[in-house]
Amino acid sequence: MRISKLLQMVPAALALTLSAPALAGDGAGPEVPKAIKGEECVEPTSDMRRNHMEYLKHHRDEALREGIRTKQYSLKQCLECHVAPEGDPQAPQDSSEHFCMACHEYAGVTIDCFQCHATQPKETASFHPLVTPGMKAIKDQAGRSGELLNQFAESHASKTRTGAIQ
Amino acid sequence: MSEDTNLKRREFIGNGAKLAAGLTIAPGVVVYGLSEASVPDRPAEEPASSERRWGMLVDSNKCATGCDKCVTACGEENGWDDSEPNSSPEQKAQWIRKVELRHKGTGKSHSLPMMCQHCENPPCVDVCPTNASMKRADGIVLVDRHRCIGCRYCMMACPYKARSFIHETLTDQEPHMPRGKGTVESCTMCVHRVDEGREPACVEECPEQAILFGDLNDPDSAIAQALTRYDSTAVREDLGLNPGVRYRGI
Repeated sequence: MRISKLLQMVPAALALTLSAPALAGDGAGPEVPKAIKGEECVEPTSDMRRNHMEYLKHHRDEALREGIRTKQYSLKQCLECHVAPEGDPQAPQDSSEHFCMACHEYAGVTIDCFQCHATQPKETASFHPLVTPGMKAIKDQAGRSGELLNQFAESHASKTRTGAIQ
Repeated sequence: MSEDTNLKRREFIGNGAKLAAGLTIAPGVVVYGLSEASVPDRPAEEPASSERRWGMLVDSNKCATGCDKCVTACGEENGWDDSEPNSSPEQKAQWIRKVELRHKGTGKSHSLPMMCQHCENPPCVDVCPTNASMKRADGIVLVDRHRCIGCRYCMMACPYKARSFIHETLTDQEPHMPRGKGTVESCTMCVHRVDEGREPACVEECPEQAILFGDLNDPDSAIAQALTRYDSTAVREDLGLNPGVRYRGI
């Protein structure tokens, strides 16, 4: 009788201990900035929270040593979605506004990634359709890609009017 | 495009890719990239293969004395041009440098760019205690900074003095080229561009087109054809390292 009563109490006690950290985490967790692009990550959020370091570590060796350039687990690609480029109004002003660092600081994790890796994407990322080597000079003149687009639209329109381009 | 009725298949595909790379702003208005669209030689999920061996042929006859466009292009592309403000010129990173050669007897002088020669048998890889110094399957010699402990043994081993050590804490690295204090680095043959199907920055920026880049293993490539047609030399051929970078006219 006494034993069965004790046994009845075990699940209740377990539930209490399990829920305690979850309750504490609700209000006091790190303020992690929302991603600036995309609706969902390359894996479910719970999986990414637990295993992102494994994915990154696996990918870095494949990318550097073998030349496998997939984007799914690339650190550069993390930043493309999670951190705004320099000069952008959403760009992080200090480490607490940086997606990776906000959480690492909270968790007390010291990582070396950003001693070498860029902390922000560049506006002129190479996959951008506007950025080709020959356009660099024009881009420097135009300053911003929006103006650049307008310039192109204008020049194209004027050429079409004069019949230079068929 | 229209005047050449004998378009080769490769050129035709290239033109198609150029069209595909065009950007539509508004209906009927399309902007095309100014330079040739780059087509990677393999899908992203495929590793580099030893069927290729990337190499360069530098024509020292074309290379102009006093011109250092390749050096500045490399520095800007990879972010080492002004990254260490507190270091002396001897300490600063130098992935590529211009060298003047003068024949003592005749007085004839040559100019040429000198960088990592991407050896087939690289001494830097032999001596590395952590396997950080490595040769990729397609012949590009790299430093895996995840493993580099900064011992600089490879710098001692390299007969071309091609490697540099970073002495200062760096910020604002290029996203495609991570660099950091306490590691060794050298010319990567712009591996990030090569994997995208583009040419290295020095090749692209040379105003004299003195550097030819391509696959040494492909007999149809421009570089392989040039190598069969012209005399070329490897620097310190006596060491038997079989560099991927060869020179004409020295």
